[in-house]
Amino acid sequence: MTVHAAHTPKISEWPVWTRLGALTGFVALIAIYAPILWLMIMSVSGDPLSGIPGPFTSEWYGTLVTNTNWLEPLWLSVLLGLAVAFTCMVCATVVGRAIPRIRQGKGAILAVALFPLMIPGVVVGTALFLYFRVLLGLKMGMWSLFAGHLVWSFPFALLAVLVVALRFDTRLLESGADLGASAWQRFRDIEFPLLKDGIISGGLFAFLLSFNEIARSIYLRGRVETLPIYLWQQASTKTSNVPLIYSLNVIILIVSTIIVAIAFWLLFGRREK
Amino acid sequence: MATASGTFTRFISPSGVSPLGVSAVLGAWMLIVILPLLGLVLWSFLKLENFQLVWEPTLQAYRDLLSSGRWEVTVRTLRIAAIVTLIELALAVPFAVWLAKGTRSVPVKVITLAALTIPFFLSLSARTIVWRAVLGLNGPINSALMSLGLIDQPLDWLLFSEFAVIVGLIGPYFPPMVFPLYLAVTLIGDELLAASKDLGASPAFTFRHVILPLALPGLGAGFIFTFIPMIGDPVVPELLGGGQVVVLASSVKSLLQVLNYTVAAALSVFMLAIMVGLAAILTLVLRGRVRRQST
Repeated sequence: MTVHAAHTPKISEWPVWTRLGALTGFVALIAIYAPILWLMIMSVSGDPLSGIPGPFTSEWYGTLVTNTNWLEPLWLSVLLGLAVAFTCMVCATVVGRAIPRIRQGKGAILAVALFPLMIPGVVVGTALFLYFRVLLGLKMGMWSLFAGHLVWSFPFALLAVLVVALRFDTRLLESGADLGASAWQRFRDIEFPLLKDGIISGGLFAFLLSFNEIARSIYLRGRVETLPIYLWQQASTKTSNVPLIYSLNVIILIVSTIIVAIAFWLLFGRREK
Repeated sequence: MATASGTFTRFISPSGVSPLGVSAVLGAWMLIVILPLLGLVLWSFLKLENFQLVWEPTLQAYRDLLSSGRWEVTVRTLRIAAIVTLIELALAVPFAVWLAKGTRSVPVKVITLAALTIPFFLSLSARTIVWRAVLGLNGPINSALMSLGLIDQPLDWLLFSEFAVIVGLIGPYFPPMVFPLYLAVTLIGDELLAASKDLGASPAFTFRHVILPLALPGLGAGFIFTFIPMIGDPVVPELLGGGQVVVLASSVKSLLQVLNYTVAAALSVFMLAIMVGLAAILTLVLRGRVRRQST
């Protein structure tokens, strides 16, 4: 610590930032994590809705086995998430690997592809609803959910692929060509292995974004009930199923956290070794 | 098609990138993103008669928007989003400066950044329903206040109120404010800050005249990434407002349910306009600043 301080006076020695910044960050992190922690505690409490923890019981996890209404929404959400993730991986690879090599119009392509990141979910939902349902007269269902989730997930998948694609040295491909590798061999044996981590984490992000999506789904779902919609509806209506939501949400939270951790490890962690 | 891809190849270096694939993806993207959004603008200028669209331009939808209770909904949504954005700013600015320049421990940085990213991928409704139990009449906050003797009756404005919605929004919308700010502050050279200190500037002076101007792009981006998604978020207001706090997102949904397509489109266009307006202001401010610096 004293070693760093020897050179120049650093801002880190200014107590005002250390105290104030750490304090506000602490407050915000509590606002983020207290509900998650509370959810976990209440999911093993006798009366989750009372707001007072204990007596502790695994009863609500047991009801997940007997009351299986959540299985169908879960299955639909997993299916949808996988389809969205796979499509995102393919499209993000196609566009992501091209962007560093495009000479003109790179900015315009990126702007168009990343545009939906900045649009409120309700606007995308309404736009797609009016376009599909009213203008084209199509019946909403899984496919329209798929389209809506794709619009939401693709920019993130593209960003993940870009993280690795921008690091990729295209001279490797030229030397591959010099050594007589075909275009397909160059992609399969040189480029893909180096882009793989970005593509996979892009797919994992896309899956999770689709799996938790509500804002766009409410307009596009037709009669399909995805898991987040099911959980949201159960939470809004004050039915007796609410304790079940707590335990189910905790399981989803844990699985999601593991998936995010894997994605980040692939994207950033492995390189540091 | 051959000529189209021919002109495309001129823009791409010949190292194994197929212009066809890129154009196919971008073409599909136009069909499911750009066309629907353009359609939205078109719809908002049409009118409905007996649930049929009439193809003549009119401002009727926008007039309906200003009349009835919708204006109130719009003002409420913007007010909630503005209050939360200001709270996030107050929390995020010192935190971003600390994270970027205040701590030099890499593990602390990595863990903090991960802790800010992970919740983004977690279910928002799961993280929100908990507040209902916490803020409720029999919840821990009311119980604590009553047992301390501070209040006789449980506070009924804690839940199903604008207050509850604001509390619920603070956590989820903190990370999008921090990230751009953090990036912007990281890019400020340590030597600038050290020079400012060597010349006798107080931390407050350095913040006002060195950090803040240089972090302005991050501030603007954080503002847009926080404010814009918040005005389109139905989850938190519906769960914690309990029908008392109607926001734009819920309003659009009920409009679509009664097949009032044009007004729903107009409301959405209005939200898009806010986004474009904010982005334009930000660009102008930044451009003005760059020009001033270059002269």
